[in-house]
Amino acid sequence: MKKVLIIIKREYLVRVRTRAFLIGTIVTPLLMLALITLPIFFATRGGGVRRVTVLDQTGEPDLFDAINRSLDSRSESSEETNRNDPGVGRTRYVLTRRVIAPGEELQTVQTEFQRQAGQDPDITYLVLRGGLDKLEPEYYAKNTSDFSIGTLERAINDAVANLRLRRAGLNPSQISAYTKRVEMKRNKITSSGEVREGGGTDFVVAFVMLFFIYISVLMYGLFVMRGVIEEKQSRIVEVLVSSVKPAQMMLGKVIGIGAVGLTQIGVWVLSALVLTTFGVSAVSSRGVSMPSLPVSLLVYFVIFFVLGYFLFATLYAMVGSTVSSEEEAQQAQFPVTILLVVPMLIFNMIIANPTSGASIALSMVPFFAPTLMMMRIAVVNPPLWQILLSMAIMVATILGCVWLSARIYRVGILMYGKRPSIAELGRWIRYS
Amino acid sequence: MDVVELKNVTKRFDQFVAVRDLSFSVRQGTIFGLLGPNGAGKTTSIRMIVNITAPDEGEVSVMGRKHVSTELQQHIGYLPEERGLYKKMKIGDQLVFFANLKDIATAEAWRRVDQWLERLELSEWKNKKPPDLSKGMQQKVQFIASIIHDPEVMILDEPFSGLDPVNVNLLKGVIIDLKSRGKTVIFSTHQMEQVEQMCDDICLINHSTKVLSGSLKEVKRRYGKNTVILDYEGPDSFLGTDLIKRHNRFPNYSEILLNDSADAQEVLRRALAAGARVNRFELVEPSLNEIFIECVTGKGSNGNQRQE
Repeated sequence: MKKVLIIIKREYLVRVRTRAFLIGTIVTPLLMLALITLPIFFATRGGGVRRVTVLDQTGEPDLFDAINRSLDSRSESSEETNRNDPGVGRTRYVLTRRVIAPGEELQTVQTEFQRQAGQDPDITYLVLRGGLDKLEPEYYAKNTSDFSIGTLERAINDAVANLRLRRAGLNPSQISAYTKRVEMKRNKITSSGEVREGGGTDFVVAFVMLFFIYISVLMYGLFVMRGVIEEKQSRIVEVLVSSVKPAQMMLGKVIGIGAVGLTQIGVWVLSALVLTTFGVSAVSSRGVSMPSLPVSLLVYFVIFFVLGYFLFATLYAMVGSTVSSEEEAQQAQFPVTILLVVPMLIFNMIIANPTSGASIALSMVPFFAPTLMMMRIAVVNPPLWQILLSMAIMVATILGCVWLSARIYRVGILMYGKRPSIAELGRWIRYS
Repeated sequence: MDVVELKNVTKRFDQFVAVRDLSFSVRQGTIFGLLGPNGAGKTTSIRMIVNITAPDEGEVSVMGRKHVSTELQQHIGYLPEERGLYKKMKIGDQLVFFANLKDIATAEAWRRVDQWLERLELSEWKNKKPPDLSKGMQQKVQFIASIIHDPEVMILDEPFSGLDPVNVNLLKGVIIDLKSRGKTVIFSTHQMEQVEQMCDDICLINHSTKVLSGSLKEVKRRYGKNTVILDYEGPDSFLGTDLIKRHNRFPNYSEILLNDSADAQEVLRRALAAGARVNRFELVEPSLNEIFIECVTGKGSNGNQRQE
């Protein structure tokens, strides 16, 4: 198989030496890093100071102070409170009290504030109306989709509850003892029966894996198709087939481009490992937990990429051999690409109920397994036999596809002109 | 010794018969012309010799061996009519890649690449990529790719198309040189003058079957001296009569094909009688061009057709 090696070498070097490869390999993990860390960064740093005028018509002198106290205790933010308020960040609320006197019309004051806020986006106000028993806080601002507004709401709630309890005759130490939050710990049971902490971030991990497998298999599969078309269109095949068997050409191309993909994914996986080992400690001190990536998951990721790539790359090679131009390929590749896209349309169903019979069955379908089984592994740790069975089904399908594609390929690469019909493809398979 | 031999070869694609019962043999150290109109079955025949496709019936043998292994491909060089280069690969790397595929080790391949690039005046393009080269230069690179492994048998399909006369002569020199070293060349082209210049033997295929084969001299002799080259001034009313089958008028002379029983002297007599001034009168064998047209159309080119 010396000739296959020569072809693998060419396919690999020609692609790895390009600028596009370097950029894709280095920039993608940086982009991922940015995507993960920037929201954390902004959530923890961002916000700054928000000045809010409180239009207080409650007639409760203690309420304003209670809200302020409640806010203060939050901005000192122990890790615990932050976990309960995701995305709170460090936005600091500075409240100014504007008491609405009994004779004053709230509507007039409010209209004036509304007018000013229309011109100055920094002007934000909070209306407190009704007594302590039926308080109706209303928040007015240019931006009302800010995560940190939740903090304010919770601070008001705490303050109101606190005051009500004090009215009922409890002293402050009793109140803080009775209202102390409890926290539920999430424990995940693995297939081997062990208990593992965590689970909240599994969805993120599963989705990232699903997405990366989908993108990589699609991208490198299309590279194979384009490579075949390039050789066919420029008629290099005519020279190649006088030295190499078509099946060797196809195999060399698929393996060579796959090696390029593995190189890239290797870099990504390594940077993911570095990111999770060093990155986790760096950001978890900020109170936001990073998705942790067990090494076994990364190993599965590589295995499923390789299997998925081989399955689709041989099919894309076959498609490439039957067309004469990129334009024709656009249509011809559709049946193959749809097999890859279907899991992206139904993964929500799987993630909602990853152990149902339908989920298990779908993750066994060889064309869906690279994405769906990978996702199930990330979410529920399915029994090993299921993982191995899906791999075995994929390997069997790959062998079938390689055989079929090689039969079509050897005829297709030398046929120019009109695209063959299904019946013609059937005859190609039988050619001697 | 016959280096390439086809025996009763037939190749079908579904209902269509691309080659029917074709037999010919190519002697070692000769240049063999494989001729025929477009779609006659030349490319299919060549692909069977190179072992890209297998015949449905009959037998192809190369260098005395039945053509079943790919190992024999190492001794064949193939320059297809439709050919190309990788756009994103340097010329040198590309040639080494093709040499590697023919079992030439990399160091040796580089030595040969340098040698050939030098000989075909392409040395300065070694580290350039194909889009930087003119079509003619790419053509020469493809030529090198097909012979870099010093094959025993070379199959060249329209090797000169798109080349200027200087480069055509350069390649012709290489081919003649290879022939003198005992290599065998199968040469396929539509340029009959080139065949007349270079080929020892020819085989003409039409509609998937052989219509003519043998040594070039013998083929021409078979047609006899039935053609008159006439250079004259004056009226041409004496032409187009019962004596003449066809008449090709070129700017400087006329090529007149006589009817089977016609006497050439009668043409001369009539021309003089009609008052034409005859500068040259010569009885010759027909040109290969005429033989080709006659075999393919069954009647030859249209009378009085002007040719370039």
